Amino acid sequence: MMKLTAVQEDALIELLNIGFGRAAASLSQLTGHRVLLEVPHVTIHPVEQVSESLEKFITTDVASVHQIFSGSVAGDALLILDQGGASILKELLTNEPALPLTIDASAREVITEVGNILLNACLGTFGNLLNVQVTFSVPQLSLENLGAILESLRVNRQGVQYALVVHAGFKLRDAEVRGYLVIVLSVASLDRLIRAVEEWEHHTR
Amino acid sequence: MSTTDSKSSELLATACRRWFEDLSDRGIFTTDASLVIRTWNPWLEAQTGVAARTALGQSLFELWPTLRERGLDHYYHDALAGGVCVLSERLHKFLIPISRGASVFGMPEMAQSARIAPLSVDDTIVGTITVIEDVTERVINERELRSQIAASERARTIAEDASKLKDEFLATLSHEIRTPLNAVLGWVRILRTQKETKSRDHGLEVIERNATAQLKLVEDLLDMARVISGKLRLDVRPAAIEGLVMAAIDVIEPSAAAKKIPIKIQVEPDLPPINADVDRLQQAIWNVMSNAVKFTQAGGRIDVRIAKTDDGVELTVADTGEGIEREFLPYVFDRFRQADASASRRHGGLGLGLALVRQIVELHGGTVALDSGGKNRGTTFSLCLPASSVPLGPTRVMPSRAATVTLKGVTVLLVDDASDGREMLATGLRGFGATVEAVASADEALHTLEERRFIPDVLVSDIGMPGTDGYELIRQVRDCSEFGARDLPAIAVTAYANPEDRIRSLEAGYQLHLAKPVDAAAVAAAIASLVTV
Repeated sequence: MMKLTAVQEDALIELLNIGFGRAAASLSQLTGHRVLLEVPHVTIHPVEQVSESLEKFITTDVASVHQIFSGSVAGDALLILDQGGASILKELLTNEPALPLTIDASAREVITEVGNILLNACLGTFGNLLNVQVTFSVPQLSLENLGAILESLRVNRQGVQYALVVHAGFKLRDAEVRGYLVIVLSVASLDRLIRAVEEWEHHTR
Repeated sequence: MSTTDSKSSELLATACRRWFEDLSDRGIFTTDASLVIRTWNPWLEAQTGVAARTALGQSLFELWPTLRERGLDHYYHDALAGGVCVLSERLHKFLIPISRGASVFGMPEMAQSARIAPLSVDDTIVGTITVIEDVTERVINERELRSQIAASERARTIAEDASKLKDEFLATLSHEIRTPLNAVLGWVRILRTQKETKSRDHGLEVIERNATAQLKLVEDLLDMARVISGKLRLDVRPAAIEGLVMAAIDVIEPSAAAKKIPIKIQVEPDLPPINADVDRLQQAIWNVMSNAVKFTQAGGRIDVRIAKTDDGVELTVADTGEGIEREFLPYVFDRFRQADASASRRHGGLGLGLALVRQIVELHGGTVALDSGGKNRGTTFSLCLPASSVPLGPTRVMPSRAATVTLKGVTVLLVDDASDGREMLATGLRGFGATVEAVASADEALHTLEERRFIPDVLVSDIGMPGTDGYELIRQVRDCSEFGARDLPAIAVTAYANPEDRIRSLEAGYQLHLAKPVDAAAVAAAIASLVTV
């Protein structure tokens, strides 16, 4: 298993926080509430171990926003929230009680938009860093269980896949909702990313 | 690429565009990389009123300047940079303002959700595509569902509150019923075991007081049951309110005096008469006054004022007592509600008093209100009643009984299965000079009449008895001429105390109906009214 060095992890967190800052600004402007997004923690796992590692944090059904990105760095990006957390996030953002997500299309749409903003900001930051253009598919929201979602990612790709798992915290109106960003990349793409991150770190110090 | 290939992919592209354009349930438009509109489908033509020939070739932001004003233009710039955007209805309401027809749902614009995405050929972005969906109906359905859920949630809370209140009430009820019983049983045991005890009189007094308290409790409960089932009927006639108030004050004055609480009374002259069920209204006023005494500390004061209003009279009872917390004020007239329902509460009672007061006063067409400055700031109760259009009749004179009644030479057949009650009445009536034959069942009574040929001057019978009940007894007496007792005067004495029970007794053949508990003097007076002594 790939393990990030302390330096690499710090640099990644810093970069992700730049992207999250951008996403938080968009969300604040959209909702009229001050939204803060924080990246406390980043880990890297082979994709088949992601579900095991996330099950420590998420035990219920999840709401996930999935986007495929392509370009010279390609892969899958997911925002994963537990369904309760997704409902709370929607309530906090819209100031309106959520119904169960299965019957609340409006809530699903809000979560899709939030996921899209977050994933775009995050991957956009990586794209800028690597100086490549990343294009995205239309985001898809699904309410399956975590294992099924991750399994579908695995069968769709060939070769060894790694996942960058980003722990994220949304803070707004004195409440906090935890979510997880999972970015699935090929070994080569991940390698390029990590090297670029290291270089950036080197430049900025 | 061969000519045939290029021809067929051109055809395919055209077919594709037509298919897009024809999608009839949503709006689809595309722009080129300079954000000039290149396709505009019929749905958009129909909904926006902008024809395709007008839209095509126009700059998107010139056609829809609000996109820029609302800061939505950056989504298009993001799309040209490869980003995909989701615009949810909740966060944006709409993309393109379409006001036609939507206002019927209370929304100024058609509710929309939209997707904006780049269009690229190979790795070059050549334009954008926007898909707009009308979600008005969905928004309305969700709103409806949400309000239904909220309503059922409210209903559930109310039901839970009510059930909690009932539980509390049952706990209070059981406590309130046990307390006087405890004193009664305790003293009875003492009196039985210590025959010569000096505190005999005191014990009897305690027993009487507690039994009376329990009677009051049961009466309140029955009244509330009647109110709830809509069976409380008023016997209304014109009355003077000051008389009712004075009578209530007479009753509570001793307990007020014991706590050194003076009662100051102020009555405006020339008060109009009111329509009142004298007994009920007096009970209500008594309830209010006794609350004032109960919640006022020794040394406090109670001010009673009766004044004219535009359409009737107003009674106010103001005390200097412990008052009511403002949060509890809206609930004071709810039944079963007590400000302090805890086991450690300082005041007894069922929490029915004020609820009954309100019900009774409202049945009289009046209103009640209660105000308090807060904890320890006293309470002011006011009661408004409409004036009666009928002037006061002659004052009703209650026949005075006990003192003058004598039943010397009167024979009574007394039927009651409950031996204590039977004995009490028999002893009491003998005290008035009557000769009493007391039996424990209707069958024994019939046997006495039929076989022993004992025809009394009057039959006094219980109603609820095992075997033959009191209704059946009087029917048999009235039907059977053999006894020579067809016209025997008869009085029902029963714990069935509702007005309907009274009617049923009278229909069965009794001349009078007395509700238990009743003392011997009342029965004696009733006998005296039926029998010429």
